[in-house]
Amino acid sequence: MSGNYRKWPMIVFLSILTGPIILMYIYLFVDTVTNTPPGSMVPNEFTLEHWRFLTETIPGRPSIWLATWNTFVFASVTTVIVLVVSSAAGYSLSRLQLPARSFFLGSIMVLHAFPTVTLLIAIFLILQMLGLYNSLSGVILVKISLELPFGIWIMKGFYDTVSWEIEMAGIQDGATRFQVWTKLVLPNVKPAIMALGIFSFLAGWSEFILPLVLAPDNKVQVLSVYLAALIADDNNFDMALFKSVGVFYVLPVIILFIFFQNKLMNIYSGGNKG
Amino acid sequence: MGNSKYLGLYLLAPAGVFVFLFFLAPVILTAVFGFTNMSTATGISGGSYVASQSSMLALRDRYGLDDISEQLTTVRYTIDEEGLAAALEAGADPATVNELGDTFLGQSYETRRDVERAIKTLNARPSSVRAIKAIAGQFERSVANTRYETEDEILGAIAEFGIELTETESAAIIDVTYTGWVFTTQNFKTMFSLPDTKKTMINTLFYVFTTLILFNVGFALVLAISTHYMDSGPAGFFRSVWLLPRITPPVLYVLMWKWLAWDSGFLSVMLEPLGFEPRNWMLDSPTNAWTFIILINGMVGASMGMLIFSSAIKAIPEALFHASEVDGATRRQQIWHIIMPQLRWPILFITSYQTLSLLTSFEYILLATDGGPGGATEVWALTTYLKALSNYGGALQYGYGAALSLVLVVIGITLSLIYLKVFNFKDLTAKPKIE
Repeated sequence: MSGNYRKWPMIVFLSILTGPIILMYIYLFVDTVTNTPPGSMVPNEFTLEHWRFLTETIPGRPSIWLATWNTFVFASVTTVIVLVVSSAAGYSLSRLQLPARSFFLGSIMVLHAFPTVTLLIAIFLILQMLGLYNSLSGVILVKISLELPFGIWIMKGFYDTVSWEIEMAGIQDGATRFQVWTKLVLPNVKPAIMALGIFSFLAGWSEFILPLVLAPDNKVQVLSVYLAALIADDNNFDMALFKSVGVFYVLPVIILFIFFQNKLMNIYSGGNKG
Repeated sequence: MGNSKYLGLYLLAPAGVFVFLFFLAPVILTAVFGFTNMSTATGISGGSYVASQSSMLALRDRYGLDDISEQLTTVRYTIDEEGLAAALEAGADPATVNELGDTFLGQSYETRRDVERAIKTLNARPSSVRAIKAIAGQFERSVANTRYETEDEILGAIAEFGIELTETESAAIIDVTYTGWVFTTQNFKTMFSLPDTKKTMINTLFYVFTTLILFNVGFALVLAISTHYMDSGPAGFFRSVWLLPRITPPVLYVLMWKWLAWDSGFLSVMLEPLGFEPRNWMLDSPTNAWTFIILINGMVGASMGMLIFSSAIKAIPEALFHASEVDGATRRQQIWHIIMPQLRWPILFITSYQTLSLLTSFEYILLATDGGPGGATEVWALTTYLKALSNYGGALQYGYGAALSLVLVVIGITLSLIYLKVFNFKDLTAKPKIE
């Protein structure tokens, strides 16, 4: 659009600003498979030694595969439960007659805007008291709860766009509201469920503070905490190793991002419209 | 529609349980914990009663009961079953111990020397002085430094010891010897009196508003408007690249910045030929640390504004742009008179939403500088975390941390409620059309 203006000044201008980010990402990948002489930025040999952490466990750390499994369990269980619970609650808020409906809607909105990290200390103490500290199930429960207001809000927004005629028709044909929801409305919001699912999975996969505080133990460690602990250990400073673990950790994210970019953009922007 | 009358509530119930347990309960408990002195020292469940050195000090300082504290710490020697058993355990001659029990059980002595003298009168006394001293040591009794589980136990022990207490004195002793957590307003007094609090607050305000203005709104506008003037190919490319910081897990994202800044990293290598000493550019000085913190957070924050502003610009009818071009408007005029007026609400939305999230987020700062160098980049939310949940500073002060986060919780609730009012709540709560 706006064909009367030259485009290249904008492209050059933005390229300069975007340069550092692209540079950081290029070096992130390059450094994992090469060695670079000190004092230079040009790699001089190809190597796979930085990836040795895949086969041998780094001393004092859990196996990378255990951490990967924990991360997968954490992210996927969170996603499934968030999807089920928020598609039910979202439908209820969008379409069903509820006592105190505007109160519920208001609470969800306030909770959505409310910064959850401020509750960390109280949550930590609650998990200690419940005996769920240092367990995956504890941190999963917390992550679900903190993710729900967002999920419900998104789902409600998507249900709002489904036409009432579909439901009216279903009711005319003698279906109950529950059947209308599961058989007629849910298929209509499949893209939304997909988008929220990917979003939740990525959010779970990337989550750092919650597992750091609530489940730091080696047995239940997730990749983010694993990588942070590796970096924080002053005795073994090895930037190429850190980057390799980082690339291993980020690969699923990149793959999901490439395939579902448009869906995610939708949720990042549309989802936050108050 | 009888069968679906309560369907709405049933469908909402699971969400309600989760949100109550780990969302609303923590809000309330943050307020409760904020008024306690809970820490790793007090534990999180109940405590016991110990007349420790510090509690005796408190008894003197706070209640002026110097003589009682002295009596409580006085050591006495009482020949009792417990001491006899301990002496046997320690390897004393059973004959000695038995005779000692038969002769002196229940006797009390002021000093150790008196006990030793008593032992020496026994027929079966040990031959060595050291053995006598060892046995005498087993009968040393004092209320101090013994752990009692209940109030009655400690008061009983004191009474048994022969110290008579008035009711106020008992209350004072219970107060100072309790090791568990108690309710107090001390956290807030400390918060207001510490000079660090003021510095942290200034840091927080600086961090929030600089990042917000420069990146979350400012740079987001630059991205949205400049990609608007591109073909969809390059525009999509730039938007995707600028989403990368947001989707990259924070630990890895900050690691890449560390690589940029560390003392044999990219900046050091590139700047060395220009005469700059290699150094850790991120932690080198407070100014540098802040620059990096704002860049790190800003690049993540810019993407959200970019997406929202872009979709707002897309909503502008194209005819408006074409008409203005026919009329000879420059690009600057177009931006200023057509685009910007459309972005008023999105900008307000981003400003309010991001203020709250910047105010409370500390993840990137924790990973990048951990508040350093020397606390220069410590913001309120990070202080909260460091005081209550990070064990570098010794004991974890849950109570004080909760008090600090209570401030953020109150600000959070207030702002969220205001946003609710501002952003057309009525439109969002239109009644369902069936039923």
